Amino acid sequence: MRKLQSLVAAAVAAALLAGCGGAASPPASSADASSAPAGGSGETLVVYTNSNGEGRGEWLTAKAAEAGFTIEIVGAGGADATNKLIAEKNNPIADVAFGLNNMYFSQIKAEDALEPYTPSWAGEVDKELGDGETYWPLVKQAILLGYNSDKISKDSAPQDWTDLWTKDEFKDRYERVTGLGTATAQLVFAGILSRYRDDSGDLGISDEGWQQVEQYFQNGSPAVAKTDLFARIASGEVDMGQMPSSIIAEREKSFKVNVDTVIPSVGVPLAVEQIALVKGTGKKEQAQKFIDWFGSADVQGAFAQQFNSMPVNKSAEAKANPEVVDFFADLKQQDIDWEFVQENMGAWVEKIELEYMT
Amino acid sequence: MSSASVRGMVRSPFVLVVGVVLTWFIAAFLVWPNVNVLMATFFPDGSFSGRAAEKLFSSQRAMKALGNSFLLAVALSITVNLVGIFIVLVTHYFRIRGSRILFLGYASTFIYGGIVLAAGYKFIYGDKGIVTSLLVKVFPGMDPGWFSGFFAVLVVMTFATTTNHMLFVANALKGIDYQTIEAARNLGASTWTILRRIVLPMLKPTLFAVTILSFLTGLGALSAPQVLGGRDFQTITPMILTFTNSPTSRDLAALLAVILGLATILMLAVMSRLEKGGTYFSVSKVSSELQKQEITNPAANIAVHVLAYLLFAVYTLPVVLIVLYSFADGAAIQTGQLALGNLTLDNYVRVLTQQSGLRPFIVSVVYSALAALIAVGGLLFVARLLQKYKNWVATAFEYLLHIPWILPSALLALGLIISYDHPNPLVGGAVLTGTTVILLIAFVTVKIPFTLRMLKASFASVNSSLEEAAAIMGARTLYVFRRILLPLVLPAAAAITALNFNSLLDDYDTAIFLAHPLVQPLGLVIKANTDGAEGVAGVANTFVYTVLLMVITGVTMYLVYGRSSRGKSRKKRLPAVPPASPVPGPGLPGTPVSTEDAAQPAAPVR
Repeated sequence: MRKLQSLVAAAVAAALLAGCGGAASPPASSADASSAPAGGSGETLVVYTNSNGEGRGEWLTAKAAEAGFTIEIVGAGGADATNKLIAEKNNPIADVAFGLNNMYFSQIKAEDALEPYTPSWAGEVDKELGDGETYWPLVKQAILLGYNSDKISKDSAPQDWTDLWTKDEFKDRYERVTGLGTATAQLVFAGILSRYRDDSGDLGISDEGWQQVEQYFQNGSPAVAKTDLFARIASGEVDMGQMPSSIIAEREKSFKVNVDTVIPSVGVPLAVEQIALVKGTGKKEQAQKFIDWFGSADVQGAFAQQFNSMPVNKSAEAKANPEVVDFFADLKQQDIDWEFVQENMGAWVEKIELEYMT
Repeated sequence: MSSASVRGMVRSPFVLVVGVVLTWFIAAFLVWPNVNVLMATFFPDGSFSGRAAEKLFSSQRAMKALGNSFLLAVALSITVNLVGIFIVLVTHYFRIRGSRILFLGYASTFIYGGIVLAAGYKFIYGDKGIVTSLLVKVFPGMDPGWFSGFFAVLVVMTFATTTNHMLFVANALKGIDYQTIEAARNLGASTWTILRRIVLPMLKPTLFAVTILSFLTGLGALSAPQVLGGRDFQTITPMILTFTNSPTSRDLAALLAVILGLATILMLAVMSRLEKGGTYFSVSKVSSELQKQEITNPAANIAVHVLAYLLFAVYTLPVVLIVLYSFADGAAIQTGQLALGNLTLDNYVRVLTQQSGLRPFIVSVVYSALAALIAVGGLLFVARLLQKYKNWVATAFEYLLHIPWILPSALLALGLIISYDHPNPLVGGAVLTGTTVILLIAFVTVKIPFTLRMLKASFASVNSSLEEAAAIMGARTLYVFRRILLPLVLPAAAAITALNFNSLLDDYDTAIFLAHPLVQPLGLVIKANTDGAEGVAGVANTFVYTVLLMVITGVTMYLVYGRSSRGKSRKKRLPAVPPASPVPGPGLPGTPVSTEDAAQPAAPVR
């Protein structure tokens, strides 16, 4: 037995030696950037985001380098990035996270993986859009119901989500989701279910609310994997469905369709992309400087100009696409109790997946 | 078997060393992380609740999806074997005109799979597909949506997953002793009888192993049902993935995964039982190379030729279309409108001139190659021992090594993070998160079950008398292993390495959680460029990456498998028997002579 133990010890030692030999050093986590000027310390900041697609990651890396920050972007979907940040909380790898919406960030905050920090631009944004403590708003995105405006006139178009399943002419003409893994889908349901809040109902929602969900799934045309809603609109399979505001212009052009959006009387849910400092980062000061830089009116304005987004920073609005700014100026925001939504979203998704999705 | 006792096992220093390393590896990387993640999942507050089971079993959708997954698994186990055995016989056993070309067509599944493969079939048989348009012209009353649901999923997955047959069954077939076949023919056996009584029985260990893999593929089906399943045939995997991603529902995901895992283990147990007790190697003293068989019946001959070429078309059409579509723009891909005039190199320029450039490709190639080599290299010893010693210890080890089949890779990754984000004595007090090793460990572990199954099957078809002869002449355990066993299983080992390598190249599920931020593999880049939210270009990028991966995997298969199989045929039947070593071995405790094998009938013909 003793022999066995020493053998185990030897094997462990050998494997470790092999492991260490093969491993590059972990990202320098002990060093700090206290003496560095604004950026420029040469240290690499690890930035987690779900907003790196369509060239955003590259754009940001290049701009940050100009400003003296070396950053490494790690892209992941919203849910993946959230789970990763939570799983790594005991030994964080990221220094900064951005792009996730308030729902995701409040989950991460609940797991105590964020460090409170008030950026220098905190006064230029609407605090209500973030939590005013750990995560701060960058970009606004509206979650909309869009329809093929070549086929359906404004008067005959649906006025609200609920029309889709209550009026016969829209049944089977709208695309419904086949999974609730995406932020957009979750926000659509946050918008619908919030209207039926009933503390005595199942998961805080009245029976009527759950009936709406049931109807939504029964009467919609299921989404097709790897086929964009716009492709289905173009081919006439469906006429309407959910879409985040930022993608509409580009998809209309690609698929040669025209889409108009519905603004229900209760308003539309807004997804607000945020930025936050990761708790336990070894490069805190550098990370804070990066947050100050990225959220500033200048950078947000340039970002909005480049990617057609709607900045939260009021001083950045001037640089954004005027059409986008006008759209958001007229937009009625749905009043949603995000705390209530965040508390229940996990259970809602589970219930919908198990009971209503067919 | 007298050699199978546990005591006999621990007497060999070779077994001891392998056993100790294996025990540590299993404990540190298979058991501990997964126990941790399952504990965190099922006992979030330290107490167990039956919540997950209750929720799942009362959900109609979950039960239906689960049923569909099982249905698909069972059906696939049968259909893949039928098609797989047919194409193996056509390319390796019967004399068929143009069998080399046929081989290349059937081998197309080596190099691609997943969502793009399903999309490729949809381009052809879907409602706007080429074949469907033709059929509708011929039969105007036909439903253009005919290719959907269970039938379509089963067809696509059957043709998509014959890779293992083409590699391993074909390999085992080459090992059959031709003299037995000749003898049977001289005794008047028909082609069919020879196939049924001689050829197929010899292929059994490999067929069992690939059947388990087909079963597993069916259980885990994801993209084909999503693309082609329609409303009525959705499987459980998408639900598992959604629930894995939601911390409050992770117990449901884990429970579902465990249900599928247990089914797989059950399948494994059944197959192991079936496999037991047979002799699956040639016992003739001078065996000779297999020669291709003529199909004597002219009608049968024509029928087999027609079928073979039909299958060839089925296999190759999707590949051709995927390559073509990779030059089209994203909108054309999604609306299924292909105009030859609109094909440009834009997609390739966009993908290849990204800032990250070739770096992710290199990172992935290095990681995948290392992981594939380590998995196969390490398990060569393990598989050998498990195949040789059949006792409870070996069985226990074998089942433990299948743990990675039970849990989805995202959960495996989370388990590794929560187990090694602090100094842990199991790895000598090191912290593994944030290092480059942790992804390598995960890559190795996820490939263990497949590697082990296939290696074990290939050891089972090695004639133990070669080994015995060497041992009697005084060769040491390692020498026998290196000079006799290794050359015989090397073709299979090379094929396994290549398959492991290919499948790890575009891994996303593990890498997303474990990759070092500065050393990001290809899977993450592909995901960033192809996700639904990434615009029209995303879909086009998917196709470009698929074609690029086809090139890499095609080259790999050629280098590793194509060449080794040719090398093998040259040296075939001449296993490097060591020169009789005059050095007296130390009692050779490591290679106990099997007595039972000698008592087996002279051929596996009953």
